[in-house]
Amino acid sequence: MPQVMVVARNFMDMVAALPASKLDMLYDSAFICEAVLRSLPPLAKKYALQMLYVLAPVTATAMEEWVREGYAAKHRVAIDKLLQLRVFVEVRDKRKEVSYQMNHKFQDNMQKYLVDGGCLPREPIPLSITGRLPSSADLETYALDQWECFLLQLINSSQVEKGSFSSSMMKTFQRGLLSSRDGEAPKLTENGFQFLLMETNAQLWYIMREYISSAEERGVDPTELISFLLELSFHYLGAAYSLNTLTDVQRVAIKDLAVLGLVKLQQGRKDSWFLPTQLATNLSASLSDSSSSKEGFVVVETNFRLYAYSTSKLHCEILRLFSRVEYQLPNLVVGAITKESIYGAFENGITAEQIISFLKQNAHPRVADKIPAVPENVTDQIRLWESDRNRVEMIPSHLYEDFPSKEWFEQCCDHARDHGYLLWEDSRRMRLIVRGEFHSEMREFLRRQR
Amino acid sequence: MTSAHSKLYSDDVSLVVVVVDTNPFFWATAALPFADFFANLVHFVNSILLLNHLNRVVVIASGVSSCAYIFDSSDASPAGGVGVAATFDKASRRVEEFIAQDARATAANSSAASANAAALLSGALSLAMCYIQRIFRSGTRHPQPRILCLQGSPDGPEQYVAVMNSIFSAQRSMVPIDSCIVGTQDSAFLQQASYITGGVYLKPQELNGLFQYLAAVFATDLHSRTFLRLPKTLGVDFRASCFCHKKTIDMGYVCSVCLSIFCKNQKKCSTCG
Repeated sequence: MPQVMVVARNFMDMVAALPASKLDMLYDSAFICEAVLRSLPPLAKKYALQMLYVLAPVTATAMEEWVREGYAAKHRVAIDKLLQLRVFVEVRDKRKEVSYQMNHKFQDNMQKYLVDGGCLPREPIPLSITGRLPSSADLETYALDQWECFLLQLINSSQVEKGSFSSSMMKTFQRGLLSSRDGEAPKLTENGFQFLLMETNAQLWYIMREYISSAEERGVDPTELISFLLELSFHYLGAAYSLNTLTDVQRVAIKDLAVLGLVKLQQGRKDSWFLPTQLATNLSASLSDSSSSKEGFVVVETNFRLYAYSTSKLHCEILRLFSRVEYQLPNLVVGAITKESIYGAFENGITAEQIISFLKQNAHPRVADKIPAVPENVTDQIRLWESDRNRVEMIPSHLYEDFPSKEWFEQCCDHARDHGYLLWEDSRRMRLIVRGEFHSEMREFLRRQR
Repeated sequence: MTSAHSKLYSDDVSLVVVVVDTNPFFWATAALPFADFFANLVHFVNSILLLNHLNRVVVIASGVSSCAYIFDSSDASPAGGVGVAATFDKASRRVEEFIAQDARATAANSSAASANAAALLSGALSLAMCYIQRIFRSGTRHPQPRILCLQGSPDGPEQYVAVMNSIFSAQRSMVPIDSCIVGTQDSAFLQQASYITGGVYLKPQELNGLFQYLAAVFATDLHSRTFLRLPKTLGVDFRASCFCHKKTIDMGYVCSVCLSIFCKNQKKCSTCG
């Protein structure tokens, strides 16, 4: 889904934007190298693997011969990505020819990783100390509950059941998604609505990006946070890791992550430990299609009725964004997609594509196999309603009238038409409308004519 | 024959089924020792698993009289995945057990024991296709499968029919069969397999650098294959073997009903009557 790629690439862009020395420091950890490798587009991954054991630089022209004709653009994109993340380093020789070589640190670490495997900076605590650990099903429900609670907070700041979030942390998470005017409760912005309709992975990456960019304001080094987050995804799902193995920075971060449902904190008699949930272990799966086995729950019928087999409040709220919810039964939400409800969604800044992709992604397994998963008349109608709103296009412009003579008027018209900014002319009444940006040029022209 | 590129792949999640030739008669006289070859192979397996956390690899060994699954990357606990070092240990132990088992089976069935013995490619390809079919039925989100054959022994003409059947079923399911020849002679079966299914056929010149060949050519996922220039074979050996004596023939007699090939004119076709 294109949306996941956009957000994840932004996270990687953030990583790439780090200064070169910090980036090289990050590559000390084999896990971060692996996470970075996995985030590359497939062609770039292939190039990286090919160059893994090549010590001498390879000229750029030689590399261009690896692709077939017509795909040079893809090749360029892959090479750029590799250069941005400093996986490939440019080397210029005496003849000014460009060649690429793999970053030495990256290369050494990956070679070692392929032979030995990596070792995490911490080991799981044995069962004798922790006692019975929650099962993976428990962890999954815990993670989902926390995540839904967080999203519900976004939609309805007043209606929160588990009110144990620290306010400063909520502020950092909600930057850009909520806007609050004085005296009023915070409302969702356009980005906020679009955020709600995204896939879970995309949402996670968005939040992580916001968290890390706000880390600098709080005085926390973003490099450490990035390396901790990327390492977290390689921990064993459901195994307990002691909190003593974390640095101070990481300890603060872990509490915030627990609120989101990425880890579960538990306390024993003497130690306390954290267990990574599925949300954390799936963090490094940024570019590949989401590995969530979450089943869809929405059935859309050709008569514009919507049936959502879900008990979650969050799903109900999301559906309320663009459809009129009619009944809410213990396991079913029945609604209808109407013109008013869709117009309401458009007012909030949601686009038709987002609504349609949300419906497609969350299609109930019964209809998901059908082509198309959402009936065409519904998708076409949503798009038509969107284009209805765009019927009237507004362009700032200037009106010229009261021309003294006809030839002057004709000359102005021709001048405007030649330069492509004539919008409308009325030769009977000698009136002319020209794009707003070119007003000064028109004035110059008129002055020269006089 | 159309290639398998008509299918659109949107990401690079792949399932690679590696068919390894463990024929002891071939490896006894091969230029590259089996241990080195196997180390290269495990390294390659680890690098595929490295590229994408959803990638899966299955290794099938084909001996002289039997085949078996050696390694399946999804066997590991879902918690952390298989560690790199553990992969090597598990795979090596299992392959040694298999070679011993296969040697016992061959000794018991001494008709096949000769220096020119062929590996059981047909059995291994069938095992691979069965696994792949199971993956296809596992749901809408499954990795894109492909088969990689590492072959050194010569072709056994008696397996012609079975091998061609597996190749056609792979073509039907749009599963490319790649081949990498680690022996001295080209293999007609694998050339045909790669040609028909749209895979890559390669005979590396430098066997010590096997990993680099594997990583550069065979690690390419199906999505990227449309963009990259991969080795093309110049000529394919399309010779068939006759159904009656299993000899390789250039010219023969074909049944007009079922298209079975015979070397001598027969009144009644043994396949369809």
